[in-house]
Amino acid sequence: MTSTKNIIDGRGLGKSYGALTALAPLDLAVAPGEQVALAGPSGSGKTTLLYILAGLLPPDRGELFLDSQPVAQLQPGRELSEAAGLVQQQLDLVPQLPVVQNVLARRLGQWGLLRSLASLFSARERATALNALSRLGIADKIDERTSQLSGGEQQRVAIARLMVQAPKIVLADEPVSSLDPARAEEILKLLTGLADKTGGALVASLHAPDLIREHFSRVIGLRQGVLQFDIPARELTPPVLEALYDLDRNSQS
Amino acid sequence: MIWTGTPKASGLARVLETRRLLTLALAGALVWSLASAGWGGGIVHTGGGNSFKDFLLALFPPELSPGFLKLAVAASWQTVVHAVAGITLAIVAGLPLGVVASGSLGGPGRSRLAIAAGVRFVLAFMRSIHELVWAVLFVAAFGLSSLAVVLAIAIPYAGILGCIYSELLNDVPHGPLDGLRSSGASPARVLLYGRMPMALTDMLSYGFYRFECAIRAAAIMSFVGIRGLGFEIQLSLNDLRFDEVWTLLLFLFGLVLLVDYWSARVRRSLGS
Repeated sequence: MTSTKNIIDGRGLGKSYGALTALAPLDLAVAPGEQVALAGPSGSGKTTLLYILAGLLPPDRGELFLDSQPVAQLQPGRELSEAAGLVQQQLDLVPQLPVVQNVLARRLGQWGLLRSLASLFSARERATALNALSRLGIADKIDERTSQLSGGEQQRVAIARLMVQAPKIVLADEPVSSLDPARAEEILKLLTGLADKTGGALVASLHAPDLIREHFSRVIGLRQGVLQFDIPARELTPPVLEALYDLDRNSQS
Repeated sequence: MIWTGTPKASGLARVLETRRLLTLALAGALVWSLASAGWGGGIVHTGGGNSFKDFLLALFPPELSPGFLKLAVAASWQTVVHAVAGITLAIVAGLPLGVVASGSLGGPGRSRLAIAAGVRFVLAFMRSIHELVWAVLFVAAFGLSSLAVVLAIAIPYAGILGCIYSELLNDVPHGPLDGLRSSGASPARVLLYGRMPMALTDMLSYGFYRFECAIRAAAIMSFVGIRGLGFEIQLSLNDLRFDEVWTLLLFLFGLVLLVDYWSARVRRSLGS
């Protein structure tokens, strides 16, 4: 099968909620070493696609292979965590917990219940968390309450969590939406580096065309759940982008 | 949810329409109940105004003799002990019941929902009976003992706490919970690392509020003959010693203030 070559191999992936089509069936193949950007206006199906690729949302139709294995057979927290990891904006951090607990949360699938409980009071594998945080330059925040960190720092905590998980496929939902340009560059470099290190791939949704051209090899345009284009990132010209985001064509909604 | 659509416009309009009708109905019920409460007439105590004046004037000054203060301290202590024991039992029982009632433990399936519904039913029963009624029952069973008061407070309060806790645990933001689930965390771990930390401050402050209520409830247990602040208030009232009543009321007020202060400190240390 062709699925042996590509790290992501999706065929006819689709998802709908009642009468609303969140994602019209599409094929998606991503080879190791690729950086794929997902572009498109809000509600275009980017997040749905990322959730499906992360194995968090079962598609209504189609089949998906991650690292040559059918996604349904990957156990959450173990093989699935090794295959793919999603960083959402900062929405998936627990604001009341110290940073270290949020970074180590991806270990919960592997820890027993007692170990999880004990770690809540005295963090296990603290060195792992410290290592990831110091590579992101926020080692001094390890014991702070996550809610007391700035938006940019929280974003790094989310990335530190992904570093601890070290998945082959790095998925990111609008990772730079709330960051200034310098920070955005830095975060994208980190995400790319993370995927390269495990010999995997990066798939991220974002809007900024400059960043897409600079940090990605390929860009996929989605609009109202339908694939518009799948082109090399350097071919993302202003007319292509304008057509994708053109509000007039959305006027029926 | 990852995708949230707006409800269909007609559905929304229907909801708003229903809401407006409900508001009207409730306002009507309020007016009707006020009108039918029977304000005039009835048996009026003609000397009531003077008694009330006597009562107010007795505040200047309240009874402050060392002997009476000692009695007030002892009565307050008795009341606090009953309240602390009652609320502690209520939390110890209410927290696990609330967790089960929230349906956040266990795998997907009907049995989990059935158990949650069953526990909700039990919680509703526990709190539908007032603490004084429980007290009457327990005094009949155990006699005039502290055990009767403590159980009379613990049972309805466990019912109330369990109900509120289950709602607080369910009302936390879902993004972080999805994040934990995506790591393969079981429901128990999602509870420990997500629901509990996010709901903790609200659970604590509601617990403290219930502790205040427990103090009032423990004080009023004199109605079934249990000693404490309420018992002394009743004795002083019978003797028409309003100055003593004031002293005891000030002690009760002081207890509530203390709990409030403590609660504020604890919440601040949790950084909220």
